[in-house]
Amino acid sequence: MSSIENNDLYIFGIRHHGPGSARGLVQALTALQPDIVLVEGPPDADEIIPLLVEEEMEPPVALLVYRPDKPRRASYIPLALFSPEWQALQYAVRHAIPARFMDLPHARRFAELDELAEQEGGETGEEGEKTAVSRSQQALQTLAQASGYGDYESWWNQVIEQRQGHDEDVFAAIFRVMSVLRNEADMLAMGTTPTKSDLFEARREAYMRRTIRQARKEGFQRIAVVCGAWHAPALAEEVSAKADKALLKGMKRVKVAATWVPWTYGRLATRSGYGAGIQAPGWYHHLWEMGENGRSPTDIGIYWLTRVAELLREQDLDASAAHVIEAVRLAEALAAIRQHPIPGLQEFNEATQTIMCFGDTEPMALIRDRLIVGERMGSVPPSTPMVPLQRDLYRLQKRLRLYPDPDISTLSLDLRKPLHLERSQLLHRLQLLGIPWGQSEPIKDSQGTYLELWRMQWKPEFAVLLIEASMWGTTVLEAASQLASERASKATKLSELTELLNLVLLADLPEVIVPLMARLGQVSAMSSDVAHMMEALPPLVRVLRYGNVRQINREVVQQVVDGLVTRICIGLPSSCASLNDEAAAEMYTHLVRTHGLLKTMQQEQHLTAWYGVLAQMADNLAMHGLLTGRACRLLLDDRQWSREEVMQRLRLMLSVTQTAVVAHPHHGATGSPPALLQAALWIEGFLKDSGLILIHDDELWHILDGWVLLLQEENFMAQLPLLRRTFATFSEAERQQLTQRARQGDRRAAAAAEQPHFDQQRADMILPLMAQLFGVNFVGSGE
Amino acid sequence: MTEILRLHAEQQYAHELHELQQLDDRPRPANWRLSPWAVSTYLLGGTLDNGFQIMPKYIGNGRLIEIAIATLTTDRALLLLGIPGTGKTWLAEHLAAAISGDSTLLVQGTAGTSEEAMRYGWNYASLLANGPTAAALVPSPIMLAMQTGKLARVEELTRVPADVQDSLITVLSEKLLPIPELNQEVQASKGFNVIATANDRDRGVNELSSALRRRFNTVVLPLPATAEEEVQIVQQRVAELGQALALPAELPALVEIQRVVTIFRELRSGMTQDKKAKIKSPTSTLSTAEAISVLNSGLALAAHFGDGTVRAHDLAASLIGAVIKDPVQDKVIWQEYLETVVREREAWQDLYRACRDLG
Repeated sequence: MSSIENNDLYIFGIRHHGPGSARGLVQALTALQPDIVLVEGPPDADEIIPLLVEEEMEPPVALLVYRPDKPRRASYIPLALFSPEWQALQYAVRHAIPARFMDLPHARRFAELDELAEQEGGETGEEGEKTAVSRSQQALQTLAQASGYGDYESWWNQVIEQRQGHDEDVFAAIFRVMSVLRNEADMLAMGTTPTKSDLFEARREAYMRRTIRQARKEGFQRIAVVCGAWHAPALAEEVSAKADKALLKGMKRVKVAATWVPWTYGRLATRSGYGAGIQAPGWYHHLWEMGENGRSPTDIGIYWLTRVAELLREQDLDASAAHVIEAVRLAEALAAIRQHPIPGLQEFNEATQTIMCFGDTEPMALIRDRLIVGERMGSVPPSTPMVPLQRDLYRLQKRLRLYPDPDISTLSLDLRKPLHLERSQLLHRLQLLGIPWGQSEPIKDSQGTYLELWRMQWKPEFAVLLIEASMWGTTVLEAASQLASERASKATKLSELTELLNLVLLADLPEVIVPLMARLGQVSAMSSDVAHMMEALPPLVRVLRYGNVRQINREVVQQVVDGLVTRICIGLPSSCASLNDEAAAEMYTHLVRTHGLLKTMQQEQHLTAWYGVLAQMADNLAMHGLLTGRACRLLLDDRQWSREEVMQRLRLMLSVTQTAVVAHPHHGATGSPPALLQAALWIEGFLKDSGLILIHDDELWHILDGWVLLLQEENFMAQLPLLRRTFATFSEAERQQLTQRARQGDRRAAAAAEQPHFDQQRADMILPLMAQLFGVNFVGSGE
Repeated sequence: MTEILRLHAEQQYAHELHELQQLDDRPRPANWRLSPWAVSTYLLGGTLDNGFQIMPKYIGNGRLIEIAIATLTTDRALLLLGIPGTGKTWLAEHLAAAISGDSTLLVQGTAGTSEEAMRYGWNYASLLANGPTAAALVPSPIMLAMQTGKLARVEELTRVPADVQDSLITVLSEKLLPIPELNQEVQASKGFNVIATANDRDRGVNELSSALRRRFNTVVLPLPATAEEEVQIVQQRVAELGQALALPAELPALVEIQRVVTIFRELRSGMTQDKKAKIKSPTSTLSTAEAISVLNSGLALAAHFGDGTVRAHDLAASLIGAVIKDPVQDKVIWQEYLETVVREREAWQDLYRACRDLG
């Protein structure tokens, strides 16, 4: 080794989460036999490094550093099996030598961020780190382009991560390359004023040098330093302790705590939030495993493509050994054309798509999710310090006076009381996080929607679930919001989203509304299931009417509602065509409910379109009678159609019956002709749940009466069950009145025409009391 | 100059191929005229070391071209898949011209393509006079390609009857064509391979058997990647066709072309151009070629029944006709698009009304 070693100091520049770096590092450490390992990472977590030896500790995991008094101020540092940092720590713990983190402590970073937040009066993320990364990325990008690669990721992958040689010189080479790049960058930056992020970077490196100095002072003689390649040259520089001290001077500190939390490859792959933005953790894992088993470069491809073929076979797609052979050959030919020494993931993907998927892109998405990213989840030992999410829950339990109890108990909540409402929200949030502390129970004959009944039982495994859930956030609210957003972005079915929306409303997670709506808009645009769209409407309308959401969210929701209603109006007639009785009954419920919702919303444009659709349905004789009948009725109720117009349709339906009867005067008792059945269904749809209209509308009564009289006996017998089904929906009192009316026959009409006995004086007597009840001024009828 | 209406690719671009050959010092697979790198330069265009300009033949994703060439360096055949108008035939012709220097070994697949066209036929006069002899045998383009170590092309493979398709299996896997009548066989020389093209919208016409499919590497050619590219293609073709038909109307304005292309691209991709809203895609192909025909019929309508300028109502009918191929599903999709996207765009109100008037 050359310049990276300096008597007692050995600096290994790596790429975070690089499997090739990790393997090279393990080899180098084994050869070096250091007596201490210093790793780029938060020293606040030094105390929990020894937990790595525990059996239950399995990567991927993340270091979580947070402020105990302000758990939202937190930072996750994920580590996977193939992360050089992980391997370096493992080496130290296994060889019983000390391991330390050496980066700028989060105690100082958080203090800095708090100050910034105060100055700017808002929340700020860890921006410093991001711009610094982009600066080193910029330098590397130039280098990659000069070597003929599109981006520096693939350049680094080819040159460092996938290299198979067992040469430790690679670290010396990286060191030299980075020295040159840093010099270039410094030259470029000369004369410009250093930015905040420049200062931040300088401070980090100063602190790292300080940690190294400390180790020397303690008498360590072979110090191994593992850091991002970009920092390597800076750590070897001879900078005086005084200069570093000056840089770090005046930095405030806050109290922080650290712990380990389980992580997943999926989270490692997300770019947003705390994800590491590694696009292919599963592929890296594969590379690492191959290297561990001493496989040759060709084996990497063969094993990888075999796994792809296995996955495809699981999904019943053809993928034989011959496919694998051809794909390996194509990947190698592609690498040769592109002048790469060995094929990379991109070549394997292209070969897979061309040969195993016949050019299709759909299986590639599956391969991405299951193999390239992977589904691996880590675990941490039980002795790990409590996570902030647990603390937050304990705080909430105390405040809401809701204590964990392993015995089953019931809890009834009245949501009109603030305390009860908060309890309900907490239980719903926990449910979202997959911690079913309370199970919601249906309430028998409940009168209002403000009552909830919960069956409560705390189980010990919830503690573990809490630790798992802590990857989503440090407070119950944050974690539930994050997880709900994630679920929203993954959902592909409208019904899933509707269910999620209901939960989000119950759990009161206002932050999720916007992403949820965006997804809902997308999914509903692709959906052709009108019934599902109609199901999605009620919770949305509820948000619009009662939701305690901010104004901006309301507009987002309104947009989605507008889109949904438009699509429902367009799609409804065709999706009501040729339904069987069961499907029609379901559609009937949707129809009635949607009608009610649109009326409560009172938006002119939607109502106009809706009435248009109803009219279209009411005139469609081929549609299921239940629906045409109800459409007609809804139009009558809302005075869109006059009574004459409705009567005309009713007669039309019944005339169909007449012709049917006339056409089959000697029809056998084998069953109703379809037209009769249709008429009976129409009546059912028209009259369902409403005997009153029949009692009080003479004309309607007569037409119906006439229709029944017209039926031949066997047809009448066949229709009876259907009519009975309609009439059974009427209330007891309504049925009695109807029977009475049927008995009276036409006489009632005549009786009704007579002047009823009416005493004006006695009627006037109750008016003052009524006025009092309704709170209006009673003027009296006397004047 | 020549009287020939259309030259072969290797004739038209002979000078480019010559220059490439002169400078190409990289290893060439047996019987290849150029190295794979030179082939890729020929197709994608570029400037040679001596300053010679190579015109791009294929505009689009260069990685697809690399996959196609890499496929041909292995002994797997290449299947170019795509909807009509994506340049499958064009690409196949130029690949054959660059690699074998000969793009003429072509079998056009139709429902009537017989086994003779794939294998060999007979000169019946000679056959009757002398019995089966080598002299009486009429080789197919594929057999010729095998003998000379060149690339053969099969156009529209999925239109060929299934039993005739399967006669390719032995040729592709064993690189062998038996002639039982002569008790002989033709063994392919190095460099032989097959490029087939197929239309993936006509699926099920004659779906490839999985045995045959396995012998092909499939490359799917996409539609133009950007709206600008597509507008340019449409504009150029509409102008050419308008001249050919000598229609007495003004060429459609650029905005009109952009509008049609935007509608086509949005419905095709299932997303509005600003990527803000998703929409459903109809069953129709909506290829660039169809966008051209929509504008052409608009041009014809404007010329014969309108005021000589292409307006929204001249385009509406053929636009709807191009989108709605399935009278039930596509109609709903089109109405949704009309009501949720077209209606919201202020400058598009004339088109919205014209389309609504037509139902």
